[in-house]
Amino acid sequence: MTVKLASYVLVLLLAITLNFLLPRLMPGTPLRFFVGDDVALLSQESVRELMAQHRLDRPLWEQYLHYLWQLVQGDLGYSYQERKPVLAVLLERLPWTLLLTGTALVLSTAIGVTMGALAAWRHGSAFDALVLSLFVLLDSMPSFWVGMIFIAVFAAHLGWFPIFGAQTPWAALTGWEYLLDILKHLVLPVLTLTLTTISGTFLVTRSAMLGVLGEDYIRTARSKGLSEFRVLYRHALRNGMLPVVTVFMINLGFLVSGATVVETVFSYPGLGRLLYEAVLQRDYPLMQGAFLLITVSVLIANLCADLLYSRVDPRVRV
Amino acid sequence: MKSVLSIIGLTILGVLGGIAIFTPAPYDPHERVSAPFQPPSPQHWLGTNDIGQDIFSEVVHGTRTSLLVGMLAAFLAVLIGVIVGVIAGYSGGSVDTLCMRAVDVVLVVPFLPLMIVLAAYLGPSLLNVILVIAALTWARPARVIRSQVLTVKSLLYVEAAHAVGGSFWHLLRWHIIPAIVPLAMTQFVTVASGAILIESSLAFLGLGDPVQKSWGTVLYYAQARGAFLTGAWLWWVVPPGALITLSVLGFALVGYALEQRTNPRLQYN
Repeated sequence: MTVKLASYVLVLLLAITLNFLLPRLMPGTPLRFFVGDDVALLSQESVRELMAQHRLDRPLWEQYLHYLWQLVQGDLGYSYQERKPVLAVLLERLPWTLLLTGTALVLSTAIGVTMGALAAWRHGSAFDALVLSLFVLLDSMPSFWVGMIFIAVFAAHLGWFPIFGAQTPWAALTGWEYLLDILKHLVLPVLTLTLTTISGTFLVTRSAMLGVLGEDYIRTARSKGLSEFRVLYRHALRNGMLPVVTVFMINLGFLVSGATVVETVFSYPGLGRLLYEAVLQRDYPLMQGAFLLITVSVLIANLCADLLYSRVDPRVRV
Repeated sequence: MKSVLSIIGLTILGVLGGIAIFTPAPYDPHERVSAPFQPPSPQHWLGTNDIGQDIFSEVVHGTRTSLLVGMLAAFLAVLIGVIVGVIAGYSGGSVDTLCMRAVDVVLVVPFLPLMIVLAAYLGPSLLNVILVIAALTWARPARVIRSQVLTVKSLLYVEAAHAVGGSFWHLLRWHIIPAIVPLAMTQFVTVASGAILIESSLAFLGLGDPVQKSWGTVLYYAQARGAFLTGAWLWWVVPPGALITLSVLGFALVGYALEQRTNPRLQYN
């Protein structure tokens, strides 16, 4: 666990250091990464002033220490496009990403585990082959493409769901109507993200269950006269769940990456979409903040999964 | 069953490779050759895009770019993976620990957001895309190669060769390389499958090389011009995405078949 923890801290430091070094090592003045491309239009004097303000005239190590100190204080810089502190912009967007990825994660794990267990139980049947090929095919599809097709079919042509965003703009809905509106906007992005991340869970559950179902204690359970349902879900799945938790962790990373693309397709106002907008508008402080927050969320999620793992499998010590 | 899958995979890759190498694009994908937003016609099989470029030519051209980027990135990633894996596995001790810690770090990093940040600073070019993908996908190959090297090293006859004074290069040439080549090939195919998907995502986000159009680039413009709001999605959105899916699937199937052959643990199942 300490080893794991150490590598997470290392990842975090690496992300921070990368954020620190990238703008400073690129050719040209680093100032344009702090205040925007307008820096070319400024006078020598104001450039010098701004350089001093951002401490870019100090030695690199001093800048680095100052940068770390700022981060500790929660100061992620100033977004020159949004004209707000980066942290404020990020916190506005974070709930939407949590809603989207959280829902997709729960759905994709639930469906993946259930289908994986069923496919293993009916190993070699037509159902197994069908579900297996379906999920392998889904795994090969780019999530943004699936999203675009969903928008074309279900939003633009059938008109069942809204085309973009997380809520109807300027509608000023309240109560149940507001909730329903958010739910309607959530359906297609969640469906896209779920379908394109399900196969990992499915494949691992299936192969783990195939291993477990061949064990002696399963035969014992069956010969005791327990129902197939009980054997499958109470006896086999419990042990088959171990590798699933591992995949769950790996999926977190994929989910976040997937969410970046899916949010962009659906113009969903989460962190991934923010990252994309920041790149488009060359808003580097915002881009770095979004990247840092995404990294921190993935690390926290990994940590939770590690703790969960030791709860599921008492043999693993924390 | 397994041979059927590998035949399907190889057929898909063969057809796509054939398109990339032999099919001449009817028009220059960078030239305006017709009125914009044309539906499919005998002159333009997949219609034209928002500025009157031939979509079929773009897709054919994209096949070259996407496959090339995927394979070059995968080659580079596996090369790094082999070097790190051999060094870690052969040296053991603190070198091994250091390499494996690096592997852990790369595996945890949210790769697409990091790629977006890197691509945003480095600027959009094919070379950058390849380097960035390789830099973030070498970890899995490294891990696989390392464990194979560890296995080889512990074989009695290899230990014997070492004991009688066989040098590192001797062991590498006669024992390690023959043992890791099949695994490296499997990893290459698997990483290529992922690399094509990643490249398409980057290009779709507008971070690809604007001069070398890939499938993702075509979809980027389709998205930006709202192709899915009209009937145009059928010929503008579906074909490039279907080709991405096919190529990813092709590599994945071949990788799966290779893995069944090369992974000793799976061989007797």
